[in-house]
Amino acid sequence: MNPTMSSPQNISAVGAAGLGAPGPDTASPETTASAPRRQAAAWVRLPDALSVRNIGAIYVWLAIAVIFAIWAPSTFPTWATARQILDENAATGLMALSVVIPLCTRTFDLSVGFIASLSAVTASYMIAHGVPVAAAVAIAMGGALLVGLINGVVVVVMGVDSFIATLATGSLIQAFITLMTNGIAITSPRLAGPFATIGQASIGGITLPVIYTLLVALVIWFVLEHTATGRRLYATGFNPESARLAGVRTARLRFASLIVSALLAGAAGVVLASTLSSGDPQVGVPYLLSAYAAAFLGASQLRPGRFNAWGTLIAVLLLGTGVVGLGLVSAPNWAPAMFTGVVLIAALGITGAKRRALRRGRGHRL
Amino acid sequence: MTGSGTVGRAALERDAMSRDNGVEVSPALLKIEGLSKTFGGTRALIDAGLGVREHEIHALVGQNGSGKSTLIKSLAGYHHPDPGARAWFAGEPFELGSGLQHGHDRLRFVHQDLGHVLELGVIDNLALRHAYVRGRFGNIRWTEQERSARALLSRFGIDIDLHRPLAEATPVERVVVAIVAALQGWEGGQGVLVLDEPTAVLPPHEVAQLFELIGEVRRTGASVLYVSHRIDEIFQLADRVTVLRGGRVVATRAVADLTPRELASLMVGEEVDPDFRAEVPAATGAPALLEARDLRARYLNGVSFTLHHGEVLGVAGLAGSGSEQLPYVLAGALGREASGRLRLPGRGGEWADIGPNGPTGLALVPADRAREGVIAEFGVAENLTLPILDRLRHGVTHSRSRETALVRDWVQRLQIRTAGQDAPISTLSGGNQQKVVMARALALEPSVLLLCEPTAGVDIATRIALYELIAQQAERGLGVIVSSTDIGDLLAMCTRILVLRDGVVVRELDGNQVTQAILHHAIEGTDEQ
Repeated sequence: MNPTMSSPQNISAVGAAGLGAPGPDTASPETTASAPRRQAAAWVRLPDALSVRNIGAIYVWLAIAVIFAIWAPSTFPTWATARQILDENAATGLMALSVVIPLCTRTFDLSVGFIASLSAVTASYMIAHGVPVAAAVAIAMGGALLVGLINGVVVVVMGVDSFIATLATGSLIQAFITLMTNGIAITSPRLAGPFATIGQASIGGITLPVIYTLLVALVIWFVLEHTATGRRLYATGFNPESARLAGVRTARLRFASLIVSALLAGAAGVVLASTLSSGDPQVGVPYLLSAYAAAFLGASQLRPGRFNAWGTLIAVLLLGTGVVGLGLVSAPNWAPAMFTGVVLIAALGITGAKRRALRRGRGHRL
Repeated sequence: MTGSGTVGRAALERDAMSRDNGVEVSPALLKIEGLSKTFGGTRALIDAGLGVREHEIHALVGQNGSGKSTLIKSLAGYHHPDPGARAWFAGEPFELGSGLQHGHDRLRFVHQDLGHVLELGVIDNLALRHAYVRGRFGNIRWTEQERSARALLSRFGIDIDLHRPLAEATPVERVVVAIVAALQGWEGGQGVLVLDEPTAVLPPHEVAQLFELIGEVRRTGASVLYVSHRIDEIFQLADRVTVLRGGRVVATRAVADLTPRELASLMVGEEVDPDFRAEVPAATGAPALLEARDLRARYLNGVSFTLHHGEVLGVAGLAGSGSEQLPYVLAGALGREASGRLRLPGRGGEWADIGPNGPTGLALVPADRAREGVIAEFGVAENLTLPILDRLRHGVTHSRSRETALVRDWVQRLQIRTAGQDAPISTLSGGNQQKVVMARALALEPSVLLLCEPTAGVDIATRIALYELIAQQAERGLGVIVSSTDIGDLLAMCTRILVLRDGVVVRELDGNQVTQAILHHAIEGTDEQ
């Protein structure tokens, strides 16, 4: 019955069971995890932390890496491929992290893709017209902040369902972008100047966007796991009425979460404009789907049932590795999309089954 | 209560056939004998019998836990009764129990949870309960569907917008639609309509409308079995009444032969000493802790009171009286929907307005544990510390070690049985969950604690533990306000009780007036005052 003891078997069973191997049932009352034992040395808890239940996606990711390494031994297991995976997914990572905080409060921000486009276009426009880099970035971020405020007002103050409200503001943003650009990407030699360092420079062989993403993940992890605010964000999402009656200012938190997502999406837009040296009016929208995919898949990892930063990044990496690998083995052009779909349904289906099992357990005990 | 007077008179003018003044005229249409039901070791129903005559409105009354619901659910086929139960309809024996789909076809039920889909209108809610009128391609023939719904409603003289979602309908309209839905395919004639506390969710002024419909149902030739614990309703509506107490039928009488006071005594039980006094210290003479003036909200029409140091003040009343809303108003949980003024003489003593200022800082234990109390996805510790996270901060960081120490302390003090601090709250029993919610409120170190339904779904041992906990806290000077529909809670804890009706305080009981009988009569409005 000791959860720490049953974990090694789970790990060895990964190959066959993949993401789905059921972990030990911590909900069972026999596992009397008293306070002293939980404070035991870190190595005692390690096997539990490494269980499939907690980090199944990492094992799947490793399995995918091994498969591609065998399939394409000359191209896949190389530094170049590793860097390609990281570089190609840094922006996805930022976008995915941007939706984590609103999702914690069970608020959807579907405007993040459009916000990224807006800030990419705004920054590029400013740079192309000779505005200094810092000012251009500040103006782009100001635009993102404004959209965040509008989202907050529509969703929290006016009480419109966030799913449809942010879809609507997204549409408004796209209309504004098209009005400004006529749908044509902004290009200028100035974009290849100092502005390009934001997205293209690297430190120790790692490009800056990757570092930004890791820093943002670190901050989000800290806020969610180690501050009172994080606890309140989760409480707001899980049971807004209980949270409100316990003194949590749920409306304020939801408003703030929409500001955070807008600012992070705006930053992602600036990074994309710098990386691509162009202000594409459509650049952000394709990231929307993978951002949500990663955030939801991430919520089944590390802290099952809770949207979290590192789980989200693991999911981005898992999906990104598969897509890059499929490209290297010259898989047909429909393969990457199918891969993403299959992984998502499998992962979320398993999470759903786990949650239902928990709810059944609750029914019995009440 | 507005409107109830006219209905009362209407009841007196009823056709003589139904009110037989106790003379045995018609044999029972529905008859039950020897009905017992045991849950685990508890006997919820002991050898109960019931007879409902033709054209009769028969009331079934009893306090909470007297076995009313068990009897109705056995009749409806949700529970399988213990062996030995027998039932007849129009002289024909039929099986009681869960083997049948929905009990006897001539018995129709409207349960307390009306079972509507609130997003849909009347037409859909009627059809979902019965059948849609289909066309050749399986399509719904909407015009015909509407016509049949209209015909059904007009039979009872009901005028209601068929297309508006029921969420926008008034509470009484929803009850009416539920009754009509239950009667589909009935076509009048012999039958029994069973209504389980249909007025529980109705504001007082809408009750008369419901009673008219019940009269209409009787006129179609049916009988009504009306379950309630509100004595005033029985006298307005019923011909005969069966009283349940502690799982046994204690009496079946013609309503005309009873006074409200006699009926209340039957419900409470003669063995209760009318001078029984709960063992609670009086807090008279203690300085004022909280003054509340002119509290108003949807169900409150201006309530004022003073709470003293160490006092446990009860708030009692029927559903809709405002008693259940009072703690929420005091906590500032209703926002701008509530108004009034508060003063804490010990803390500055400034009058503060309720409403625009949000939470007032008084600790609230909400009534609905699952919806308003616990956060099911959180562990025990996370649930317990939610309102006091600011006190567990170390710089910007949340201090886990401080949280662990604090939670360990509360788990010990309240004897919370849990697999660990991180165990999901949903793995705890109802009583232990309630202890966590209680600990959460006490951890705020409030000067006033507001309790709503503190023992709902709590086992007897935990219940006593909670009573003792509150008594201890009161001894240390904590002021407590208890709102409960369970009279036992109020008797066990309170030094003084405010009885509310229609949003105002109608009686204040203290000292040796705090007895079961006096409180019961005061709540029901059957006291002599």
